[in-house]
Amino acid sequence: MKQKLLNILLIVLAFTVQNCVFPHISFLSASPNLLLILTFSIGFIHGKEAGMFCGLCSGILLDLFYSGPFGFFTLFYIWMGYLNGIFTKYYYEDYITLPLLLSLINDFAYNMYIYVFSFLIRNRLDFFYYFINIMVPEIIFTVITTLLIYRIVLISTKKIEEWEQRRDTTIV
Amino acid sequence: MESKRSKYILICLTILCILLIGVTSINSSVLAPLRTGIGYVLIPVQSGVNRVGLAIYNSLSDYSSLKGALEENKQLKEQIASLVEDNNRLQAESFELSRLRKLYQLDEEYMQYSKVGARVIAKDSGDWFQVFRVDKGSADGIKEDMNVIAGGGLVGIVTDVGPNYATVRSIIDDSSRVGAMALQSGANCIVAGDLKLYQEGRLRITDIPKEGDLKEGDKIITSNISSVFLPGILIGYAADITVDSNQLTKSGYLIPVAEFDTLQEVLIITDLKSDLMAEPAAESGAE
Repeated sequence: MKQKLLNILLIVLAFTVQNCVFPHISFLSASPNLLLILTFSIGFIHGKEAGMFCGLCSGILLDLFYSGPFGFFTLFYIWMGYLNGIFTKYYYEDYITLPLLLSLINDFAYNMYIYVFSFLIRNRLDFFYYFINIMVPEIIFTVITTLLIYRIVLISTKKIEEWEQRRDTTIV
Repeated sequence: MESKRSKYILICLTILCILLIGVTSINSSVLAPLRTGIGYVLIPVQSGVNRVGLAIYNSLSDYSSLKGALEENKQLKEQIASLVEDNNRLQAESFELSRLRKLYQLDEEYMQYSKVGARVIAKDSGDWFQVFRVDKGSADGIKEDMNVIAGGGLVGIVTDVGPNYATVRSIIDDSSRVGAMALQSGANCIVAGDLKLYQEGRLRITDIPKEGDLKEGDKIITSNISSVFLPGILIGYAADITVDSNQLTKSGYLIPVAEFDTLQEVLIITDLKSDLMAEPAAESGAE
């Protein structure tokens, strides 16, 4: 329960930082996708259901921000939470290669999803231009930021586990 | 057991999402109460974070620009001297202009629109879409389809309104299309946003009739025939106009007046084109 509340808090924070602070930093040509990192980290660490829950929250926030068809982002984020939850059996602490790889694949998939359903269907065929100029910078930033965010999620998880354990023992 | 349950949840949520996408692409007002509710919680957070982030960033950039400012100060003082001179001359000219305007009974339509100032509180951080959110909403009289201007030029249009926020789609968004015309000749055209061109700071102008008189450097303004954009708002200047391969139309590029990268405050025009069109109709009906 504590974990869930904390996750919601983290999501709202990530969403506001992503939309209110990053755009002001004009020298960044692209900015990391914090919500995506958070969703897949939580899915990877806590499993499918937590991942889906987190994806649902972030997706709804994004869908509320854009005024297109509602559910477009939610759908993707739920699936991302679920699919990354499958890899939770390979999870152990201090193992950073797989999360980085997942981050790369997730962000690429996310950008492809937007490209195909928002641009390709309007006959924007020049994939390589979009790939070089929009996808690659964002993917690089996201993968680098993953190093930091993934650590934060890990530490918060550990803290809450300790806290809950301590509470259990005092009751007994 | 657990994996089966999560699979069911996944399937349910997927179906729900697809249903929602279907419903909202036909009628987007279904979810308005949800948007309103979350808006009440989220907007104060957003404007708070926005203010803090901006303050930190500003103080950092203040420090770094201090050095440049000293030198700039010297240059600016010289400029002031010449500007004062210019100003005197222009003032004289503006008196002459207003006299002439009265003479010709010209309508200063552009100045007559009533406007509301708003602060940009959130922007899409990815590069795919060019939408942003401002801190004024229906409580301040903002409605859907209101035009947004900044820096003397058209910026975008309100696509979604909550009680204390409004979402604006910029004219540089890839899906944006604005009915426009050349100021001098009145040749109609369409100004379309294009993600590729925006990176070079340009928009696309299409559908100019081949015999339409539209040259490089012409001022492009919103047209009278657009259904949502008010007439006479400056958009930008035409560039590189060429005849299309079909030999029927011309197309080219547009350099926008508004600066989209550094947008912080915008003006929302509270007159709606639909009201503007309804008024004359009502008058003629009364007669």
